[in-house]
Amino acid sequence: MDKSEQTQQQHQHGMGVATGASQMAYSSHYPTAPMVASGTPAVAVPSPTQAPAAFSSSAHQLAYQQAQHFHHQQQQHQQQQLQMFWSNQMQEIEQTIDFKNHSLPLARIKKIMKADEDVRMISAEAPVIFAKACEMFILELTLRSWIHTEENKRRTLQKNDIAAAISRNDVFDFLVDIIPRDELKEEGLGITKATIPLVNSPADMPYYYVPPQHPVVGPPGMIMGKPVGAEQATLYSTQQPRPPMAFMPWPHTQPQQQQPPQHQQTDS
Amino acid sequence: MLPQEQDRFLPIVNVSHIMKKVMPANAKILKYFINFITGEASNKCQREKRKTINGDDLLWVMTTLGFEDYVEPLKGYL
Repeated sequence: MDKSEQTQQQHQHGMGVATGASQMAYSSHYPTAPMVASGTPAVAVPSPTQAPAAFSSSAHQLAYQQAQHFHHQQQQHQQQQLQMFWSNQMQEIEQTIDFKNHSLPLARIKKIMKADEDVRMISAEAPVIFAKACEMFILELTLRSWIHTEENKRRTLQKNDIAAAISRNDVFDFLVDIIPRDELKEEGLGITKATIPLVNSPADMPYYYVPPQHPVVGPPGMIMGKPVGAEQATLYSTQQPRPPMAFMPWPHTQPQQQQPPQHQQTDS
Repeated sequence: MLPQEQDRFLPIVNVSHIMKKVMPANAKILKYFINFITGEASNKCQREKRKTINGDDLLWVMTTLGFEDYVEPLKGYL
């Protein structure tokens, strides 16, 4: 039995720690997509020769190859568009002489920054940088949205294009909350992390009512404020109080009828 | 008589109305963006026991949060 079989058995039994070898094997089975300059993972496109076995006829193979080739070209075009966008932004800033005129009001930017209670002081350059950053942010988001518009062979930018641009790029994850749910559903993202219910969470279990137990209050020998005899005092002192439980989760398995516990009487 | 300069373009109100249909949350998105970056920059300043958020903090945060493409062009503004 080699190491891989041992680790496999250990995982099956729910014990043991994954060794370095098993981690290496895991990483080799699941190669990560390479990151490109734009921040989006480049999708690994299979070569046109790797047609599935289902496509037996040559006509189907040809159609498959053409589709793959078109998809690959489209992705290259998108990457070129984004690279051109950033190079244009760089050139534009290099040619800028007047840094005082901004497309967004600096006072409003400062006001939004001050909305955070933790922010105490803001340097003069911070709103200026934000003004340009916001401008570039709008342009990038619009360009990515436009790419989605062109993919769907349309000439009008729509809400779902912006939703697609946000959902495709991990950098825009912080905007997921403000995109309408129906737009995300159109993109196949109706289920978000927040909407996935936890397995075996308390909310999933129905509850049934358990009448509260009456624990012994006060010292033994005092019941409802009245003194009792020695026999009754010893009787009540031997009873163990149970913690009161108002609600109990309903068991998912079929409850078996339990026999009442038989108290063993010890003869002393 | 030559038409006035503004008469040769579509009315701004109409154009902005069309744009709002497409992107109603434009200002909201920018507000989120500013808050997102500012919050992280504020945390950085608190860790370093400083009171003022400066441009370098914003650029550092942008690099950390995945907006590294923004940094090179924005360095010209510092």
